[in-house]
Amino acid sequence: MARVFNWQIGREMSYWYPESRPARQFAAVFDINKCIACQTCTLACKTTWTSGKGQEYMLWNNVESKPYGFYPLAWDLKLLETLGAQSWRGKVYEGRTIFEAAPAGERVLGWRPESRDYSYPNVGEDDCAGQVDHGASLSAPHLNWFFYLARICNHCTYPACLSSCPRGSIYKRPEDGIVLLDQGRCRGYQECVKACPYKKTFYNPMTGTSEKCIACYPKFEQGLQPQCFLNCIGKIRLAGFVSRPDRARADNPIDYLVHIKKVALPLFPQFGLEPNVYYIPPVHVPAPFLQQLFGPGVEDAVNVYRAAAKDLDLAGLLCLIGSTEQVVARWQRQGETVTGSDEKGATVVRVPLKEPVYVRAAFDEKYQIARTNCP
Amino acid sequence: MRSVARVLLAVAVLGLLCGCRKGPPRTNEVVAVTAAKIPLDPNDRAWEQAPEHLAKLIPQDLVEPRLLKPSTAEVLVQALTDGAGIAFRLRWLDASKNDAPRPGEFVDSCAVQVPRTIGPEPPAPQMGEAGRPVEVTLWRADWQAAVDGRGDTIRDLYPNAAVDHYPFDAQPLGPGSAAQKEMAQRYAPARALGNPRSGPRESPVEDLVAEGPGTLAPAARSGAKGKGVRTREGWSVVLSRRLPDGLAPRVRTQIAFAVWEGSREETGSRKMRTGWIPLLVRGEK
Repeated sequence: MARVFNWQIGREMSYWYPESRPARQFAAVFDINKCIACQTCTLACKTTWTSGKGQEYMLWNNVESKPYGFYPLAWDLKLLETLGAQSWRGKVYEGRTIFEAAPAGERVLGWRPESRDYSYPNVGEDDCAGQVDHGASLSAPHLNWFFYLARICNHCTYPACLSSCPRGSIYKRPEDGIVLLDQGRCRGYQECVKACPYKKTFYNPMTGTSEKCIACYPKFEQGLQPQCFLNCIGKIRLAGFVSRPDRARADNPIDYLVHIKKVALPLFPQFGLEPNVYYIPPVHVPAPFLQQLFGPGVEDAVNVYRAAAKDLDLAGLLCLIGSTEQVVARWQRQGETVTGSDEKGATVVRVPLKEPVYVRAAFDEKYQIARTNCP
Repeated sequence: MRSVARVLLAVAVLGLLCGCRKGPPRTNEVVAVTAAKIPLDPNDRAWEQAPEHLAKLIPQDLVEPRLLKPSTAEVLVQALTDGAGIAFRLRWLDASKNDAPRPGEFVDSCAVQVPRTIGPEPPAPQMGEAGRPVEVTLWRADWQAAVDGRGDTIRDLYPNAAVDHYPFDAQPLGPGSAAQKEMAQRYAPARALGNPRSGPRESPVEDLVAEGPGTLAPAARSGAKGKGVRTREGWSVVLSRRLPDGLAPRVRTQIAFAVWEGSREETGSRKMRTGWIPLLVRGEK
């Protein structure tokens, strides 16, 4: 094993290969507070990439209701339990990553889901177990809360799938950090399925190879955001590039949210993969749960997000999310307007800080008819 | 009647005590004997003339991912040659039949490995070495099931699977048309790329070549055949390939075997294997 630096856990760690960061790293920010679990992202991905035979059960993109929703079943709980204590001292992770906790004979600490673990996505995860009627209420031994967690491949800086593949069939593109699984080379050993803690590689029983999210690279190479980003009804997703913390640029929208404002955080940083999908945490969820998911910076992130209405730059950038199919490489706010531009500096989108409000009379004088406002 | 049974029982016990057993002789190396025709059927009577070699299997515990718990203990090997090809019958005990390649499940399989070049110092038995390749013939139980008639649909693996729709099955694409096939392949990227292991299978075996762990690749020359059948105790599999270059009567080379037990999640380098075992073709030069 080599020694590499993982900024998300604030220390060096062991990894199967030496540190080799791409020229640029594909990254995303998901604002959980805006997700309505409509699953349009899931279907956008499904119809684009996984409508084939053997792909029936695959959801490269899925949305699950936390804390009781999983795809596959208990994907996070099983590993959290196996990994043991995950303690932090400040911003430094003191527990073991899944590479450091690898058992003898293995490259990664992992587990492999069974068919039935994939069989019931979203079934019953936010339903009441029984009928609640006649004024009755549902009570639980803890606060009632849930939120929607949208998930894709994290295109990790230190992918567990890549390190576990004994054939080197998985590679990280040096130009953009997208992690791909070579369909011509894979022999379907399912080591990557076992190793990925997020369970975002899938075995195709028809072709006998494993498959995964490709970040819609044919689009991304043209400066366009992936399908699940474009089709997001809640406009929760922003795709771009993330820099190393010491090279963060305030005019890079991802850098601004991740490094400058620190309002977007990686999912389970303690696993040690340096995942590159960053989440703006839900503001209504108890801190201990959020800390386990997003690490020690989560309370600060929630506070920053709660104060966003008074932070015009942050509020402006949040307005930009989901406003264009183009990848926004740079952004700036001028007064009440936020502008996004592409790599060449050309303006691709312009949004107002506040949407204009139009008030219509309840009665239309021209057509002599009452207007009905729909909520 | 009772006395006849007593006599039969006594004969059986005596046979056991004497170490008597039916079948071909046992040899300390794999000895291929000449047959007029190589039989692909593991139950063909031609196999009764081939000497048996009982190869002890050890876990592959040298490269990650390793197999730490031993499973299949030994494999019984026989070999027949017709001068152009050579076939091996491998038999081993396996209480469970694993031939469905579902997620999280693995299939029973076996392989034969020979060095590409015959010489006094063969390459490492662990998949060869850089510049010193080994040739591998692999049989898999799921490929056998496909050849034996199992369909190429998700319902053949999950009978109760509910499939809403495949876009390539929609009108106006005609069933079996070029446009329909082209669209279906778009959703089967491994097949679109021509990955030989991605099916649909027409043979239960595959010719491979390797130059060290993790380098297994399809062989440039392909022609291996085989057939596996389930027995009461496990598997009986015939693997047939062309005679390795330079191998002739009274020439000795090396051979190695591997067995994967699907129920123990054995796949890839997680396998039971042998080291090199001498392989001799019996007969006149």
